[in-house]
Amino acid sequence: MSITIAKRTDSLKTGVGPLHFAQRVSSFKSLLPLFPFFAFVAYFLLFPLTFIVRDAFLDNDGKFTFSNFEECFKGVYGHSFFVSIQLSLISAAIGAVAGALIASAIVKTGTKSRRAIAATASVLANTGGVPLAFMFLAGFGSEGLVTKALKFLGWDLYAGSFTLFSATGIVLVYSFFQIPLMVLIYSPALENVKPEWREASDSLGGTKTTYFLRVTVPLLFPAFLSTSLLLFANSFSAYATARAMTSGTLPLMPLLIGNLVDGNVIANQQHLGHAMAVCMVGVSIIVMSIYVLVLRFSKVKR
Amino acid sequence: MKQRLNFSNYIVLLAASAFFIFPMVAAFEFSLRINEGKSYGFANYRWVFAEDGFATNLGVSFRLALLTAICVLVLMVPTIVYLHLGGARWKRLVEFVCLVPLVVPVISFALGVGTAFPTFLQSTVYELSFLYVIVSLPYTYRALDVGLSSIPLLTLVEASRASGASMRQTLMYVIIPTIRTAVNGAIFLAVALSLGEFTLAVLLHWDTFPTWIANVSQGHILNAIALSVLSLFGAWIVVMIFALAPKSLRSNKIQEATK
Repeated sequence: MSITIAKRTDSLKTGVGPLHFAQRVSSFKSLLPLFPFFAFVAYFLLFPLTFIVRDAFLDNDGKFTFSNFEECFKGVYGHSFFVSIQLSLISAAIGAVAGALIASAIVKTGTKSRRAIAATASVLANTGGVPLAFMFLAGFGSEGLVTKALKFLGWDLYAGSFTLFSATGIVLVYSFFQIPLMVLIYSPALENVKPEWREASDSLGGTKTTYFLRVTVPLLFPAFLSTSLLLFANSFSAYATARAMTSGTLPLMPLLIGNLVDGNVIANQQHLGHAMAVCMVGVSIIVMSIYVLVLRFSKVKR
Repeated sequence: MKQRLNFSNYIVLLAASAFFIFPMVAAFEFSLRINEGKSYGFANYRWVFAEDGFATNLGVSFRLALLTAICVLVLMVPTIVYLHLGGARWKRLVEFVCLVPLVVPVISFALGVGTAFPTFLQSTVYELSFLYVIVSLPYTYRALDVGLSSIPLLTLVEASRASGASMRQTLMYVIIPTIRTAVNGAIFLAVALSLGEFTLAVLLHWDTFPTWIANVSQGHILNAIALSVLSLFGAWIVVMIFALAPKSLRSNKIQEATK
């Protein structure tokens, strides 16, 4: 890769106004150093993606069909959309609110402890799968220590229909990595809120509520929303933990896809799995678009 | 800056610590149980180290992590440095591309890889490293971008070039040391991801440390809990050393000077 300083001023010039032919050529030249990156992404990301879409429209004989997508919305597969989206929404909401509360307390502590907490959060946000499942079984399982302690204090977790393997249980388990992820990503935004603004608001006669509603909320809303979205995507695509926790009793989209393509249970349903995978990407894109719209709206309002 | 915590802050932190610490303590207690819970000891931990495949699979995961880290460095650092110097007009495009993995659930991605890649790529476990580079793109891009935005990059490059350094030397001896924290952050993210990734490994039928844990845990519950405690605690120790290391290890003179 070779970049010269001259090129930098050059491209700054061409950045404004209409491009002449010579400058247009140089604009293509400016793309050259990015070639390795784009080649890598094209081969390892876009190329596989085109294959999922292609396979979703093929039947077992390799002919074009829509039937995979029709199948997607029927029976347990159709139900799994509902279950997966609902669970991810609840998990994202709990993670976002709890994480934001914790972050707003942590941001007031010293630099060193903040760094230690960030490091711990990055480990916790990456837990998942079997280790996480076993930790919760040890803690909140029917023989778990927390369950026993709560029972001793007079609260029987298992008095109702609660089990760790139900949707409620899964949300509880997901919180273990969702909340730290929120703390990790939302904290930098909080650190940008200057104490001087509070003083300014006070001196202008603003109460605690006006400061919160007129300064904090508009300022932090985009960061809060984008992190919540990340949490949604995180729980929506979580596979390892779901697989370790439910062993297939709860119809979540990733679990169904995993069963379909591993092929032990149902033969010749590979293409249905691909169609479900395309649907998952579709749901993510819809959620992302809603986020972009909300963000644009909130910018217009200000 | 340090501020005073109020009462509700303490309540929040206390509740949060309880939620995170109790399952870990409970898991630790379970992992020490031997003789069907009649006494305590470290037998479950010894079993983990003696079990078939512990060292091999951990080795595979470490090699994958190393290769992923190298790929991230070689691919992303020059790319993002270029975006901050001459290629600013492509920044939004690259940023968008780096966010795509967030929209594609890993399980969907795994299906595509399984059908799309030629056999020569699918015959080696190291294909996973390239996929981990893709999955970690949103995080590594952000870490490096933030790091590069916080230094006077153009001035540093001009000074280095004026002193006769080649672009490669500038990258190696000026830019990378200056954004050491961000580079470390990106590498750490990539390594953590490769050490813990399960979905891609299991769907492409490879044995890594996480899939080994999943296999071994069937039928050996207490041993698997010991293994869980070990993996979590091990990761935590590594990260804490990294985070609380003396300042001289984390930053350097250029970084101090440019602050």
